[in-house]
Amino acid sequence: MKKLYIILGVVGMLAASCKKSYLAEKPYSSYTPATLTDSLGFEASIYGLYNHLSTFFTYSDHQGWPCVWQVGTDIAFATQPEGWEVPYYNYNTLISTDGAALYTWQWAYKMINNTNTIIVNIESPTLTGMGQANKNATDAEAKFFRAYAYEMLATLFGGVPIVTQPTVLARTNYTRAPMDSVNNLIVSDLVYAAANLPDIEAVKSNAKGKMYGRANKYMAMQLLAQTYLRMGKGDLAEQQTSAIIGSGQFSLTTSRYGIKVITQPGDPFSDMFIYGNQRRIQGNKEAIWVLEQENPATVTGGNTNSAQQRRVWGAGYYNITGMAICDSLGGRGISRLRLSDWVLYRLYDAGDMRNSSYNIRRKYWYNDPAKTATFGKPVPYTGADTVYKICPNTTKWYQYDPNDQFGFAMIKDFILMRLGETYLLQAEAQLQQGKTGDAAASINALRTRANAPLVSSGQMTLDLILDERARELVGEENRRMTLMRTGRLVDRAITLNSGTVLNPLNGLSSKNLLLPIPQAEIDLNKDVKLAQNPLY
Amino acid sequence: MRLLPLFFCCFFTSTIWAQETVKGRVLSGDTVLVNVSVQVKGSARATQTDQNGQFSIQAPGDAVLIFTSVGFASQEIAVKGRRSLDVHLLVSGKEMNEVIVVGYGTQKRSDVTGSVASVPKNRLTELPVTNILQAVEGAVAGVTVTNTSSVPGATPTVLIRGQNSITANSGPYIVVDGIPLSKSGGSINDINPNDIASMEILKDASAVAIYGTNGANGVILITTKRGTTGKPVIRYNGYTGTENLAHVLKPRGAASYVQKYADYLKQTGQTQTSPVPNANELVNYNSGKTTDWIKEATQQGIMQDHNLSISGGTKDVHYFISGEYMKEKGPIRGYQYHRASVRSNLDINVTDFLTVGTSAFFANNNYDGGRANLLLATAMSPYGQEFNADGSYMIYPMYPELLYVNPLLGLNTARVDHNTNLNGNGYAEVKFGGVLKGLKYRLNAGYTFLPAAMYSYSGRNANTPLGTANTKNSETNSYTLENLITYTRDIDKHHIDFTGLYSAQQRKLFVDAYSATGFVNDVLSYYNTGAGATISAASAGTNLPNGSYSEKYNLNSQMGRINYSYDSRYLLTVTARRDGSSVFGANTSKYGLFPSVAAGWNISNETFMKDVHFVENLKLRGSYGKSGNEAIDVYKTITTDTSVRIPFNGVSTVGILTSNLGNPNLHWESTVGANIGIDFAILHSRITGTIDAYSNDTKGLLLKRNLPGVSGYANVLDNLGETKNKGIEVTLNTRNVEGKDFRWESMINFSANKNKIVDLYGDKKSDVGNKWFIGSPINVIYDYKLQGVWQTGEDASKQDPGAKPGDLKFADVTKDGKITADDRVIVGQTTPKWIGGFTNTFHYRNLHLSVFIQTVQGVTKNNPDLNYVDESGRRNTPAEIGYWTADDKSNSRPALSYFNTRGYGYASNASFTRLKDITLSYNLSQKMLEKAHLGSVTVYASGRNLYTWTKWIGWDPENNYQGRGIGDWANNYPTIRGVVFGLNISLR
Repeated sequence: MKKLYIILGVVGMLAASCKKSYLAEKPYSSYTPATLTDSLGFEASIYGLYNHLSTFFTYSDHQGWPCVWQVGTDIAFATQPEGWEVPYYNYNTLISTDGAALYTWQWAYKMINNTNTIIVNIESPTLTGMGQANKNATDAEAKFFRAYAYEMLATLFGGVPIVTQPTVLARTNYTRAPMDSVNNLIVSDLVYAAANLPDIEAVKSNAKGKMYGRANKYMAMQLLAQTYLRMGKGDLAEQQTSAIIGSGQFSLTTSRYGIKVITQPGDPFSDMFIYGNQRRIQGNKEAIWVLEQENPATVTGGNTNSAQQRRVWGAGYYNITGMAICDSLGGRGISRLRLSDWVLYRLYDAGDMRNSSYNIRRKYWYNDPAKTATFGKPVPYTGADTVYKICPNTTKWYQYDPNDQFGFAMIKDFILMRLGETYLLQAEAQLQQGKTGDAAASINALRTRANAPLVSSGQMTLDLILDERARELVGEENRRMTLMRTGRLVDRAITLNSGTVLNPLNGLSSKNLLLPIPQAEIDLNKDVKLAQNPLY
Repeated sequence: MRLLPLFFCCFFTSTIWAQETVKGRVLSGDTVLVNVSVQVKGSARATQTDQNGQFSIQAPGDAVLIFTSVGFASQEIAVKGRRSLDVHLLVSGKEMNEVIVVGYGTQKRSDVTGSVASVPKNRLTELPVTNILQAVEGAVAGVTVTNTSSVPGATPTVLIRGQNSITANSGPYIVVDGIPLSKSGGSINDINPNDIASMEILKDASAVAIYGTNGANGVILITTKRGTTGKPVIRYNGYTGTENLAHVLKPRGAASYVQKYADYLKQTGQTQTSPVPNANELVNYNSGKTTDWIKEATQQGIMQDHNLSISGGTKDVHYFISGEYMKEKGPIRGYQYHRASVRSNLDINVTDFLTVGTSAFFANNNYDGGRANLLLATAMSPYGQEFNADGSYMIYPMYPELLYVNPLLGLNTARVDHNTNLNGNGYAEVKFGGVLKGLKYRLNAGYTFLPAAMYSYSGRNANTPLGTANTKNSETNSYTLENLITYTRDIDKHHIDFTGLYSAQQRKLFVDAYSATGFVNDVLSYYNTGAGATISAASAGTNLPNGSYSEKYNLNSQMGRINYSYDSRYLLTVTARRDGSSVFGANTSKYGLFPSVAAGWNISNETFMKDVHFVENLKLRGSYGKSGNEAIDVYKTITTDTSVRIPFNGVSTVGILTSNLGNPNLHWESTVGANIGIDFAILHSRITGTIDAYSNDTKGLLLKRNLPGVSGYANVLDNLGETKNKGIEVTLNTRNVEGKDFRWESMINFSANKNKIVDLYGDKKSDVGNKWFIGSPINVIYDYKLQGVWQTGEDASKQDPGAKPGDLKFADVTKDGKITADDRVIVGQTTPKWIGGFTNTFHYRNLHLSVFIQTVQGVTKNNPDLNYVDESGRRNTPAEIGYWTADDKSNSRPALSYFNTRGYGYASNASFTRLKDITLSYNLSQKMLEKAHLGSVTVYASGRNLYTWTKWIGWDPENNYQGRGIGDWANNYPTIRGVVFGLNISLR
């Protein structure tokens, strides 16, 4: 029995070794907010915002996502709809369960929560170990992104719930704030950001040089100009745009540059949209803000999702026997949308560079050398082919990776702000103040670059500016947001883009100047009824 | 009272006078009976049957032998000069006396107060299953086993008495030989079904309460075979057979495909310029060549299993050692599963007070191999080109269509997926003597080491032009340490026993996963990731970060149980368990207490029942108790961030984003349950059965509650809400015909469960966003109500403005003249309303036939085989699934131009009745065995999934399928029909 007691003793010790710490939890593989409150932690949190930003442009779960912002406006119609864009031309089906509206909403508030975490922690008086200048710059960068998200929400949904604290406990009692409050928050964040963000040449550097992709004060100023325009404060908007233009840091691209100058014909305008030319560091002095993407095969984490812009905008020429997928035709497109007849046949004056064959491709030649019978001959422009196989298309999203013919992901930078748009915002600001002469001059800055006939002050209307935006920014700008911001969506879409044979515009009315508040949001916010936008 | 297992009091005798040796075998049905006591009437001479059910005894030619065994009617047989006998024992109705495993101990069936189901023994043998849960499907009342996938090696989901939890794990806790398999990282695939001696399922709150925070979803106790005293028995069990597709959802043939394309163009307003959509198809179209892609993607499936075991023992050492090799080659090319396993169960009486033993096993599960893609095979055009000129697979058979690649490209990939479970369990048991007589102490210690590897390489010939290699290794280490004290005492008619437990469990996981891309060529496969241009961290698992990941889980428990009975008439069980789990929130104590009480009344043991001859057994049971569900993942109570990347100037830069919103107040879900049951045996035990009714109330549900996006998070785990499960379970065993040569037995089980959400957030309000509705089952389909299809000339403007002819017509439930989210209704529930199983077994002499039918009723599932979103014009579709045209005016299928922008799920009735298996077996008679000098021989043929009755249109109503690009769509797999021939043989 002695042995027995020895065994019992050992067991007793084993049992006693179970202390309270036995049940304590420590996550081995995740950061927690508490581990991120030094300057490196804040820096990483700021980088996180850029990652999240990119997911708005690269979202690929629904290929129709980029179309949502273009079809059913004045510039494009759906040819092969995926599904998500259907309610955006057949507006009768735009209801509160809309997928794109929900994604946008959730995306924006995730951005806001991440910025709130940074802003509240960096402004905490207990934070030590960081200099005031460093704190202010971090605060400014986070506030820029917060304003960016709220500006998008205000444009698309109107007065939305305002949240300025990081979420630490579940909440279901959000209320929609008046539009003025949302505007005030955006303005105050952007004024702070413009004052505390670095000048473009003062941005931080990494091993490969200055990180022009990070926020500079002109980005905040340009966004602020847009907010003021939406608020009808043209004078304040003009202060911002003229400061950007007057800074001398940016210039319109007026001569050819970059990696294809020798190898490929083109013009100054088309050079800006070649991957490898798009960034300031690559010679694009017109760029104010470029979101960079890299091929994940060479740079780990080079992209987020598989951006669909090339496929959506590019023509499906590969469907034609005798055509092979190639670099100069921009890789594989499937043309889920097509530019409207208005853009293709009525928008541009003769000689406008932005309508050159380098910028809008209208003709195809058989390029598969294996098919000798057709090789080198023009592809006839008939039938369904003109809708999505060799339809005229913008070259702004052309991109080709020989290792990825199918090309699910487009690896190309997103030029989010450039000086060309600054002139357009400026013209709008000047027109709001009745300064039509100045407005015409702003427009003519772009038309001069494009070799297009100049406009006169007597011609200046908001619609002319919106026409010019299409000429300059087609494919590039979020057309829907522009038309919703300016209130011109309904008239322009109906006048300029009705009656297409395929997927015609249907049911568009003034209620569509705002999107429906997502039904899931209304359902989940169970303690307070989130008011739906009128008529949804 | 035959309390002690009979073999303890058996002994061999030698005789001083000449006697004949009488040999024989004892069976019940087609099962040999082990440890049956064989006694020469009127003498002390006795023996017992061995592992083969065989005995050998010295007896004079005119002797009478008495056969007795727990649970069977004793039988007297005159030898009449015979040398060999086949003896068939009949179930006594006193099967209530069998000993069953109840968790931390065993109990006589007649003493059990809770609801404990034993899996019928005939479900444990002669069935071609790769894991035991597949054999349990449909066979036990109250246990819903669903084979969500038929992929070789897939494990079914199990629900016991309905779903309690909404988002937390709902599967039962599985314990093998006293050591938890659940939460050790192990899988039911690690347990060789041939090693299993018995399987008990604890269902009611009092039975599961002893498992505390792991008990609420029911507990499955598996006991493996152990050796007994006697000659060694060497046994081989094996089968081999075929596997084929049970049902094929045939794609359209060539003509129908061409017609579909023409119709598609017409419906979408396009001009037809080619008879087929794509250039590559045109080549074959012009030459009239078609390809049967289903045939190309399939092969003859083969399944085989070989088991060898040796068992036996001396007085002090008992052993059971087994080895298995099982291989399943599925009917879809590239799919296979094979397992090699070894088990060693030892029991050693070291001294008269100390017994030690092991239950150790090793299992290697291998799912290797690149796989064909069934969905792509169904999507291929009959005119698609399968091969290049050089005989290799063409990557894009429908070029320039690039979305649908060759379904066979997976066969060009290297794919490794295997794991090993090395499980060492040991025990030491000490019996005390003297004044402490009846007291036992037992130490159970289990350690599990579980390494797993997943590697893959996809290169040029598999449509990965740069070549991508993935490697993932994981290692799980778990231990269980249990101290058990038991005490048993009988005083007059009072019987009392006590069980006390103090235990600790831990699981640690480490995973690392990497991906390399950009290889010079494909020769290195995944063997040198360093040769790739970039190496990056890859997903370590669902919801886990990329790269390496580690976690730790701890559980600390105490448990006490008292069983009291008086005169075997009145029974009482009281238990309490206290569990502390690391997964609970930092603001809680992390401990929970789970008490229960149960009582039983053996009415048939009352004196007033003595004269009621048609009732052999009658027992009433009632129980009430509380159990828990801790089933949340580790670290979910903590707010954590995730790391992401973004490039600047081509430099990959690490960023941080919010990820999980923690909730430090999280604690266990608790289920309070009541159960009443009746066990009976009537008409000379021709009819025996059990009826149970229960009601379970689950509160503090661990709910992953969707949050308004405004919060910046998608959801948070919380203890919220309440669910209720009520149900009834009936199990009936009948012996319909009992002739000398012919017997017919039936076994019926039926169970119905009603599941509903009582409350979610404390305000009795439904949560439409999550599709949870007060008063409805947890899992419902909430969708538009299909009324038909809009026909040409019909006016849609007052119901669904914008709808075109050929669009689905949905009911305008709100009558507001348009179809909005408010028009959605609850269409059905995704868990069955009732399930049943019906087994008929026929015996004719040594020939046995068993037919098992399973039924699952009241299930609605979304049917992805009906939903082609925007792809129906681009791909082939099933011949059986049509589409609307202006001419045929289908009122159930939409036009090809319909893009389903509302995300309608095509809910369909997924109820089915299945002829699940038929087994025909033949036992060699004792006479023939004598001649062949063998212990026992059974030959059998067995078939599974032989026929299915269902209204479901698709591959199978039970398996889950996904639409292209959704979830695990690449592993859509048909239900298989298996037919095997088996042989069980043992040497004497």
